[in-house]
Amino acid sequence: MILNYIKIAFRTLFKNKGYSFLNIFGLAIGITCASLIFLWVEDEVSFDSNFPKQDQVYYVPTHQEYDGEWRTFNSTPGPLAEAMKTEIPGIDKATPTKQADFLFTVGDHAINRSGRYVNADFIDIFSLNFIEGHKDQAFNTPEAIVITQETAEELFGKDTKVLGKTLRVNNKDNYQISGVIENLPKNITFPFNWIAPYERYTKGKEFTKEYGSFFADTFVALSPEAHFETVDAQVRNLLEQKTGESDSKAFLHAITDWHLRDKFENGKQVGGGILYVRLFTIIALIILLIACINFMNLSTARSEKRANEVGVRKAMGSGRSRLIFQFITEALILAFIATLVSILLLFLLLPQFNLIIAKDLVLGLSNPVHLLVLLGITLVCGVFAGLYPAFYLSSFKPVEVLKGLKVTQGSASFIRKGLVVGQFTISIVFIISTILVYQQIQHVKNRDLGYNKEQLISLNVNGNMIEKFDIIKQDLLKTGAITSVGLSNSELLSGGNNGSGLEWTGGTNTEDVLISFRYVNSDFLKTVGMELVEGRGFSENKEKDSSSVLITESFAKLMGTGSAIGKQVMRDDVYTVIGVVRDYQYGDMYGQSDPVLFHNYHEESSFMYLKTNPKIAPNEMLTLVEGVLKHHNPAFPFEYKFVDDTFNNKFKSEQLVGKLSQIFAILAILISCLGLFGLAAYTAEQRSKEIGVRKVLGASVSGIVRLLSKDFLKLVGLAIIIAIPIAWYSMHNWLQAYAYRIEINWWIFVIAGVVAILIALVTVSFQAIKAALANPVDSLKTE
Amino acid sequence: MIQITDLEKFYKTEEVQTIALNKLSFNVKEGEFVAIMGPSGCGKSTLLNILGLLDDPDGGSFKFNGTEVAGYNERKRSELRKHNIGFVFQSFNLIDELTVFENVELPLIYTGVKPAERKKQVEAVLEKMQIMHRRNHFPQQLSGGQQQRVAVARAVVNNPKLILADEPTGNLDSTNGNEVMDLLIDLNEAGTTIIMVTHSEHDAKYSHRIIRMLDGQKVTENILA
Repeated sequence: MILNYIKIAFRTLFKNKGYSFLNIFGLAIGITCASLIFLWVEDEVSFDSNFPKQDQVYYVPTHQEYDGEWRTFNSTPGPLAEAMKTEIPGIDKATPTKQADFLFTVGDHAINRSGRYVNADFIDIFSLNFIEGHKDQAFNTPEAIVITQETAEELFGKDTKVLGKTLRVNNKDNYQISGVIENLPKNITFPFNWIAPYERYTKGKEFTKEYGSFFADTFVALSPEAHFETVDAQVRNLLEQKTGESDSKAFLHAITDWHLRDKFENGKQVGGGILYVRLFTIIALIILLIACINFMNLSTARSEKRANEVGVRKAMGSGRSRLIFQFITEALILAFIATLVSILLLFLLLPQFNLIIAKDLVLGLSNPVHLLVLLGITLVCGVFAGLYPAFYLSSFKPVEVLKGLKVTQGSASFIRKGLVVGQFTISIVFIISTILVYQQIQHVKNRDLGYNKEQLISLNVNGNMIEKFDIIKQDLLKTGAITSVGLSNSELLSGGNNGSGLEWTGGTNTEDVLISFRYVNSDFLKTVGMELVEGRGFSENKEKDSSSVLITESFAKLMGTGSAIGKQVMRDDVYTVIGVVRDYQYGDMYGQSDPVLFHNYHEESSFMYLKTNPKIAPNEMLTLVEGVLKHHNPAFPFEYKFVDDTFNNKFKSEQLVGKLSQIFAILAILISCLGLFGLAAYTAEQRSKEIGVRKVLGASVSGIVRLLSKDFLKLVGLAIIIAIPIAWYSMHNWLQAYAYRIEINWWIFVIAGVVAILIALVTVSFQAIKAALANPVDSLKTE
Repeated sequence: MIQITDLEKFYKTEEVQTIALNKLSFNVKEGEFVAIMGPSGCGKSTLLNILGLLDDPDGGSFKFNGTEVAGYNERKRSELRKHNIGFVFQSFNLIDELTVFENVELPLIYTGVKPAERKKQVEAVLEKMQIMHRRNHFPQQLSGGQQQRVAVARAVVNNPKLILADEPTGNLDSTNGNEVMDLLIDLNEAGTTIIMVTHSEHDAKYSHRIIRMLDGQKVTENILA
């Protein structure tokens, strides 16, 4: 019996190649799309899942109160980890860590790798596996360093024993390799290539022993029997016990939440990447739904052709359940073929998709989970898409269909129209969302940042770039490729150092305000293009301006009315304001940045900014700059970033949403059009006699095209009306997350509507014109 | 074999009610060949559909082999149908996607006959209908006469007690039509009861009895043999 169904399914398939193509291709696109999304979701939710102690490991961020609002920071005071471990029962392991970049030199081979200063507990917390050396002896000496296998191979080549070898770091320190650990998976939140003893970092740094300085990333592991709520409550009180102040609370952030639930608002967890994971999962399901709708639509539309078969089978003694089973089997076969096609598509598209999302996803068909999910999608699609047609077709009365009566399609055609409206509604929502996401990204990118990110490159300060700064600067300017050189302790675009507890003239309750600190040289403002609205910048003579500061406009407002020049700021010392800089954007590009205080001090700068001469070609400019740096700082490789690239990188997640919603919009429309195309063909076929009669009576081709297109356009029109409020509501909510955002303009809805109508028109009119041009005799003869 | 008494069937649209069968009564004995004639719209096809359990009457009694079947539900009807009744339609109603062999095999599949047995029975009936050489062709590849022979083969393959033929020669030329009628005669002579609806006086003459209908009622009944 089932063989008979399969046989007839394949014959129907081959007999109606066009229809089968529409059905299979539509479903295959849907399955491909959903599979891509699910692969991405799998990668996202599996972050940090390779570490075995999933329910014991926690990161320790702090909530800090400023002006009545709790903000969340990653850093903690250095002594916190040790205090947690010794004073709070249930905390088994704890380590402060400090992230750093090391330049490793072996012979004349040098590579830059980031890693962490940690204590020995770190090895247990993350259950690191040693290939060489032993975990208990890894940190026996302060010169020890443990590196990953990958790093070892890059430095010494494959299959070389490296235990005990000496590594030159940053061209000044020596470390001895005390262990090699297995490579870490790619999807982890805190990646590292090496770990070295924390005491080596803290040596000679008094602030690392104080509770007042927040700089360390703290990781802990609870003992297996510890109760999270109890431990967390004690952690939250610990800082107050130590400092007597209640405005900082450390807390436990579970390893399972690191990647996707890392956003906090006023001390509360408010999600993070999980929102996009949910959003895209829903989108995947919606696209599958559209594809299934297509399937149902095309199947029921063609029901008249199958009606006769249903009649005959019933007359021959087939019960209804057997027919339902038959049609679902057919749908499953189609779904299965669609899955095979989509596997092919996945092989072709996955590399492109990986480029867009900047990941290394693999199809992994040998992974039983992937196979099961794919099989699940196939079965669900097949059954879901086949169910309605099966019930519909099997309900035909044999008397009516065998007598050749037209199958009355009242309810079916209503449902079919509903499904088309549904598909187009979703497509239009996608179109509108795509436009708005794009607009929002452009809006922020074109925001007046308060500095000029074009023609600007940044270098990490290393080696003797500070000692030789004056000569490096002179040589850079001499090349003609560089017009100005600035130094800063923090990156232009990022949050950098901040603190509170300052006092200033004209302010009340000033201790509560969070101020960002920048230590820059005199040319910094000019180099990055910041604008002085009042007063003057720093003088090149450092002594002259050692107690002068610059502030931003928002800071000046805190000082009350009138000019801020000459007013004083108390921070350890007393400083005099000599200039006011226009507010600029850093940290969160969508938000409002905190006030900034600039000091004229560049000895501890980490970043060098170069304003390039636009008349020199970028390649030539880079060669010239590299020449100068290689000459004065030969031990370090020349590494640079264009600030506008760094800027663009800040929009990665938004850009990802933008690109993906663009792709999904196109796919949703494509699938919907496949369905519409099939329906239009069916309608034209069904009305061929009517068209013939109308033509005989003198109807024009355009009149008939209009006649046939009109009904479909009404459906699309209805879809537009439904889609607009849905799109407005969801995009309005999405935009609320951004302080700096666009207004939703009415013309976007008009554009989306017009696009949908045009696409539908093109799709339908192809069939309509074909029908209208047909010789009327042909259609009339067939009756 | 068949006893119908005061059988009624109405078709309703929003405004008019059409009477298709108006208190129709007659009997058919086992082994009989009955022709039903009458102008278009007189209720012949409706009658045939009810006799074939494809449709149910609105009133009256329909006994099949002594059992009242007028109130049967779809499942019971389908059960009775597949074991006892074969259909021959004017427009053949073969399934285009199945070959000759598979079309004829279909009723056997639904009655649950084993594959080996099915093959034997189908081949026997195809042999009898002289279309064995066409067993792997699809319906569209056959002439009208051949298609109707396949349809007849399908109707008789599981040896039904009753064959209902709805204008079996209506779509055929006279040569092909006569061939089909000869087949029906042969079946009848072998013991199958046949009820045939036809417009053709020529075809009707093959039967034992002609029932003429008008407006849902029996008008005359002629016994021929």
